[in-house]
Amino acid sequence: MGVHRPWVSQSLNLCKFALAGMVLLNVQASAAEAPKAKAKSNYNFNLNFAKLTGKVVDEKGEPLVGVSIRIKGTTTGTQTDANGNFTLDVQPNTVLTLSYIGYATVDVAVGGKSTITITLKSNTNLNEVVVTALGIKKEEKKLGYAVTTVKGDLLDKAKETNVAYSLEGRVAGVSISGVSGGPGSSARILLRGVTSGGAGSPLFVINGVPMDNTQRGSSGEWGGADYGDGISNINPDDVETITVLKGQSASALYGSRASNGVILITTKGGKKNSGFGVEFNTNYQADKVNNTTDFQTTYGQGQHGVKPASVDGAQQSSRLAWGSKLDGSNTIQFDGKSYPYSAAGTNNLQNFYRTGNTYTNTVSFDGGGENGAFRLSVSDLNAGSIIRNSSLGRKTFNLNVNQNVTPKLNIAVVANYLIENSKNRPSLSDGPGNPNNIWFLAPNINQSILSPGIAANGYEQVWTDDPYVTNPYFAANNFINNTGRKRLISSLTARYNFTDWIYAQARLGYDNINDSRFKVTPTGTAYYTGLMGGLDEQSTAQSFEFNADGLVGVKHTIVKDLLAFDFSAGANIRKNQYEYTSLSGGPFTLPFFYSYSNVSVKNAANYQFNKSEVHSAYYTADFNIKSFLTLSTTGRYDAYSKLPANNLSIFTPSVSASFLFSDLLKLPTLDFGKLRVSYAKTSGEPDKAYSTSAYYNLGNQINGTTIGNYSLDLYNLNLKPYTLDELEIGTELKFFNGRLSVDADYFSRKTHNELLRSQLDPAAGFNTRLIGTQSFQNRGVEVEIKGTPVQTSTFSWSPSINFTYVKNKVLKTDDFGTTQTLGTYRPLNANLAYVVGLPGPQIMANDYKRDSGGNIIFDANGYPETTARIPMGSTVPKIYGGLNNDFSYKHFNLSFLVDYRFGGKILSATNAYSIFRGLNKITLDGREGGVVGKGVTEAGTPNTKSVDAQDYYQKGLYNVSALNVLNGDFIKLRQVTFGYTFTSSFLNGSPFNAITVSAVGRNLWTIMKHSDNIDPESGFSNNINYAGIEGTSLPATRTFGINVNFKFRK
Amino acid sequence: MKKRLIYSGLCLAATLFTTGCTKDFTKINTDPNATTADQFNPNFLLAQAQLNYSQTGYSQLLFQSMWTQSLASTFSYYGNGDKYQQSGSFNDYIGRVYSEGYGAETYVEEIKNLTKGKTGYDNLNNIATIMKVLIVQRITDTYGDVPYSEAGQAKQGVFFPKFDKQQAIYTAMLTDLDAALTALNPAKDKPSSDLFYGGDIDKWKRFGYSLMVRVAMRLTKVDPATAQKYVEKAAAAGTMTSIDDNAKVKTDNTNNYANAIVNALLTVDDFREVRWSKTLISFMKSTTDPRVSAIAEIATGNGKKANETENVAGDNSYSKQIGLPNGLDLNGGSTDVTTDPNYPGATPADPAVEKDAPAPLGKYSRPRLQVYYTSSSNINPVDRSTINMLLTYGETELLLAEAATRGWSVGGSAATHYANALAADMKSIAQINTAATISDAAITAYVATHPLGASALQQINTEYWVETSTLFMFNENWTNWRRSGFPVLTPVKYPSQFDTEIPRRVIYPITLQSTNPNGLASGVQSLSGGDKFSSRVWWDK
Repeated sequence: MGVHRPWVSQSLNLCKFALAGMVLLNVQASAAEAPKAKAKSNYNFNLNFAKLTGKVVDEKGEPLVGVSIRIKGTTTGTQTDANGNFTLDVQPNTVLTLSYIGYATVDVAVGGKSTITITLKSNTNLNEVVVTALGIKKEEKKLGYAVTTVKGDLLDKAKETNVAYSLEGRVAGVSISGVSGGPGSSARILLRGVTSGGAGSPLFVINGVPMDNTQRGSSGEWGGADYGDGISNINPDDVETITVLKGQSASALYGSRASNGVILITTKGGKKNSGFGVEFNTNYQADKVNNTTDFQTTYGQGQHGVKPASVDGAQQSSRLAWGSKLDGSNTIQFDGKSYPYSAAGTNNLQNFYRTGNTYTNTVSFDGGGENGAFRLSVSDLNAGSIIRNSSLGRKTFNLNVNQNVTPKLNIAVVANYLIENSKNRPSLSDGPGNPNNIWFLAPNINQSILSPGIAANGYEQVWTDDPYVTNPYFAANNFINNTGRKRLISSLTARYNFTDWIYAQARLGYDNINDSRFKVTPTGTAYYTGLMGGLDEQSTAQSFEFNADGLVGVKHTIVKDLLAFDFSAGANIRKNQYEYTSLSGGPFTLPFFYSYSNVSVKNAANYQFNKSEVHSAYYTADFNIKSFLTLSTTGRYDAYSKLPANNLSIFTPSVSASFLFSDLLKLPTLDFGKLRVSYAKTSGEPDKAYSTSAYYNLGNQINGTTIGNYSLDLYNLNLKPYTLDELEIGTELKFFNGRLSVDADYFSRKTHNELLRSQLDPAAGFNTRLIGTQSFQNRGVEVEIKGTPVQTSTFSWSPSINFTYVKNKVLKTDDFGTTQTLGTYRPLNANLAYVVGLPGPQIMANDYKRDSGGNIIFDANGYPETTARIPMGSTVPKIYGGLNNDFSYKHFNLSFLVDYRFGGKILSATNAYSIFRGLNKITLDGREGGVVGKGVTEAGTPNTKSVDAQDYYQKGLYNVSALNVLNGDFIKLRQVTFGYTFTSSFLNGSPFNAITVSAVGRNLWTIMKHSDNIDPESGFSNNINYAGIEGTSLPATRTFGINVNFKFRK
Repeated sequence: MKKRLIYSGLCLAATLFTTGCTKDFTKINTDPNATTADQFNPNFLLAQAQLNYSQTGYSQLLFQSMWTQSLASTFSYYGNGDKYQQSGSFNDYIGRVYSEGYGAETYVEEIKNLTKGKTGYDNLNNIATIMKVLIVQRITDTYGDVPYSEAGQAKQGVFFPKFDKQQAIYTAMLTDLDAALTALNPAKDKPSSDLFYGGDIDKWKRFGYSLMVRVAMRLTKVDPATAQKYVEKAAAAGTMTSIDDNAKVKTDNTNNYANAIVNALLTVDDFREVRWSKTLISFMKSTTDPRVSAIAEIATGNGKKANETENVAGDNSYSKQIGLPNGLDLNGGSTDVTTDPNYPGATPADPAVEKDAPAPLGKYSRPRLQVYYTSSSNINPVDRSTINMLLTYGETELLLAEAATRGWSVGGSAATHYANALAADMKSIAQINTAATISDAAITAYVATHPLGASALQQINTEYWVETSTLFMFNENWTNWRRSGFPVLTPVKYPSQFDTEIPRRVIYPITLQSTNPNGLASGVQSLSGGDKFSSRVWWDK
């Protein structure tokens, strides 16, 4: 022990390495001493302890049953009986720790007494303060809308490289879908359904300052890589809390962009008077490929029942399992060698991938004195993809300083600096440069014969009939797609308290991003004309978001115990700018020399620039009437530079009420009851600037002649802000001294004048036009139930469940109700669309054509006939949520999270390919003697035409794209963590206050699914246009890991 | 105190967002990288329209080039054209003539918008009309009814352009062309960004009247009277007089305008498996056509590697040229290329090349590397800046020969027009690359020994087929075959075809189902056979 340290990253800097070594030594030392320490304490117990008799009561003097009483710093303890009484052997100087759900935990010194009565004070979250919009802290009980807070410690043990994934299944109303694209891939986050046609990301606000969450590019039907989003830059170890403002009332103060909801991230900071502390967290996780396919292994490579007999024939059929029955005979392969014609083994395809090793090390220092506090953290992440040669490296620095300059003036500075480098983000979906085409290998081919992917001259070893389907080894080893990012998210806040009830605050926020990208199609790529390869992109992009706001807050009691009010007003200026420059060209002149200087034809530089501003003013006013009723209103005025001068501004209001009925009706068992109602309206702007007038551009000259052009996206002079309004009714209930709580909401929201790019018939002269006509409706219910059914002094069980039901409906697209085509999958024979009257996005696919009796109609050649593309259901689940269980026993804790999704469909390219390629088990039918489709001819007589199996499935069934519409329901064991905490008493003599060791696992078990051969969550894009479309992205993985956390405080 | 503070807070807010503060918004929302209509020169859009119209690439290679058996391929990607079988990205490519066509048409509409009522742009405005006819004719010939009268009017609020009946389109095209040509005036403005003729208005007139011949002759089956009227009018006004009048666009790879056809054919599989069709080469050899050596070659060297090498000139000797029959594959079954009774055999693997394999198509003729891939003599690498030929003197003379054969008054006899055409067709290939130059003596001898004979219409239109094949004008090639019925082609038989006859049109783009459903429905209504490849457009009775 102590030598093998897989979780210590190779790239640790010296300082961290030393620290890691030191603590590891201490673990050993402590472990060795542990039994001795225990024996000593037992010995002492016999000598000095005396019996203490006590009683625990609530504020009304009623006895409390089952209160946990522990001797502080130990696991020794007891709990109160049915009358609230307890007895315990204690020393005269013992301090007791009493904890009880719904009540504040207290420490009580025995002080040599032999009897004691302790009163516990209720803390049924009644005065819990939450951060709301603009960083304004409010008492949760007074809120007239739903917010959910997730504590950072839930996120940092089982780490996801994109912290957003960790919210999966945790918060009612939130749906997270990832991209199967390797470390740092994007997330699609939907709060309360597909809010609008664009279904944009929620606004992320970090320490009060909006941050950029722009997606940096994703894959479509024609391939491409996922370049990650803004939220994937955040280090989970720095996160103190994540607060989700789901409803529009909650987020109304953010105006534009808040229509998709708001997620507030508060990073960890130092606490006043906390002394000095150091925390070190080290984490190792391993991603292992999970083969979800169940393909046939009866028939091997070949065509029309015949196995290949030549090198060419083998190459033509390397992805076609239409050969003869696998019989072990020697068969020529595309590499010219012969191999047994038998199944290549169950782990064949997994062996193409590697274990993805991820190391994360974070060290933080914090401290706080009388007038200020700070925290500084440094973190290093090294995530290896399951694709060889692909990885993500991320270093983050986080500084949080808070200082009272004078008793009235407080200044806070928060800075997050990030350096991220990712190597070879893999192409997904389409064939070029995509390593994942390995999945369609005929069952008799051992994947290792594709290695190393190159011939002797270093050029791609072509392995299949289509050069655009790159050899997976060549794709992984030779393609280059590197990205770099340097990002500073900073904020400076000054707050001046004029009196204890009035303050003014000024804040500057700046999110500055520098991106670079280097993408090469390597020399020897089979589809590249001339085979020399080319420079696809060498680019830099600078973007920033700047926010300046000023806020004045007043809090005053007008009539004591009757009426108080809390008022804030402020204004904000937001500036966004984006500037991009890119070089490209090809082919290379010298082989294998990947530089712009080596490009024979240099393309014109690509330069893009975009700039916009929003000027806003807002107010929020809360009126508290007695202790039980709070009425709130907010208003916001926004002026958008992206909109035409005559229509650039809008005022949007919200009102909400919170009624604590439990304060009026004293019900037994009900500790707390709140009813909340709110109505809000928010507004939004176009996604791009410069959409309101006609522009013309100049292109490269052609043979000396000037060429002009213009955007084929038609501008619109009549744009106006779009709006979203929402009604929300909810309740929050707490029972049995807070051991059961229920939080439920109903919401109904609708967009108006939503902006969309409506596709045009190209004969109209433009490909798309920007119009403000779309309208979406979402109605739904969110429920969160938490409980603590078992609570003893040493053991507790706290399950929680959340449930969301959202019904989405496209009310209107353009003025003509035109179906809006979205994305498609690479087989191109089905697509997603917004269809008026149906939930979006709908899969549009060709189904079997049937007669009135429901029989499938076959054409004269024996192939099934198909309908036009018809709606087959939405790809976004209607019902989703999670079930979490936390157990703790003494210093052990165990938690597992199960999450579920129902009611969404998948459009599966894997399914389409598996039918076309003879891999799907349904293609076993009719291999010998042909397929006679069960159904009728056009004349109504039974179909008797027999068709060769390969022809039937490739040319008949392949066109029935409805077969590729799969049921996306699933239940998964999402996360398990099991941990043990070494407390200070145990670590006595070491410099540490606590060491926590946790074993973690993610995506361990798919408890239920209905989609054969694929992981129902697999996807290649976070864009709503591709939601639920699956195919040729990275396979599903299981993650196992270990997390060790060391805390030191002085 | 309290009130004062609240007041100052509100003041702070007010100063931040009063209207004074948004007065810069118009400036902020002005794209610094683009220009506005008042600054822009509409001439620049002419070059864009011409370039877009000329760059066809896969959209004519995958379908038309093989339907008429000009080219042939064993490669599955070309199944659409070679075997009338859905393959590759079928759903995408069926819409290309439509989307690329209107993608070019939008620029001529915008030229009209920008020049309307402005002095100094009279010729440009009329040339835009001529371009519109050139562009839309290809689209309507491919699909049938399409938008014409309401095309390109989205700026005027027409988002669902109606589909005009093809008959109405032809009537309008002839009328519009006539008016625009009458109005062209060499004394007025000279378009500055003209890739066809560098602003030479006289050449534009001859081009326009030659286009009028092409448009009018399309009506020979359905409305010969109108055809005659306009062909005679065009002949009288003056059509092209030499190959110097050929309308063409030279691409420019160094400025990122690589030739789209070359880009497609240089893909390794395409290069290895796209060949001249047996139908074409056999016919040309039957007349001992000297163009055979100008256009065709077989790979130099044996084996797969040699057959894939894209920078070594092939062997173009006449005797070695053999066309690949359409409808074959390399799958090893009953349609494998080796099953052809005249299969010349593969070229064996080259023992000097590691892991080389035989080249099953090594002895079939491919389009000559130095002619069709490069505009210079450089083939290592090829420069990809070749010419896209669009409308030629030779093809016009052939149509005039047909008109004369029909007894129409077009000045000169059918025999003269035919002889003019033959000579022009042989010389035009050298405009693509001088490596394809055929000696004047050879041309004179061939023309003299191949006069127009008794089966004039067959002879003329078969030459039209040879001309448009050898100049890579496959859209026009297929369309004139549909009109004339020559050459007589035998459809390919292959399992599971979408049509057992050679397609007579392309089905409408799938995207129209959502972007213009009413237009699509009206277009389909006009087709007696429905929206199928076998249905015929109006003029194709």
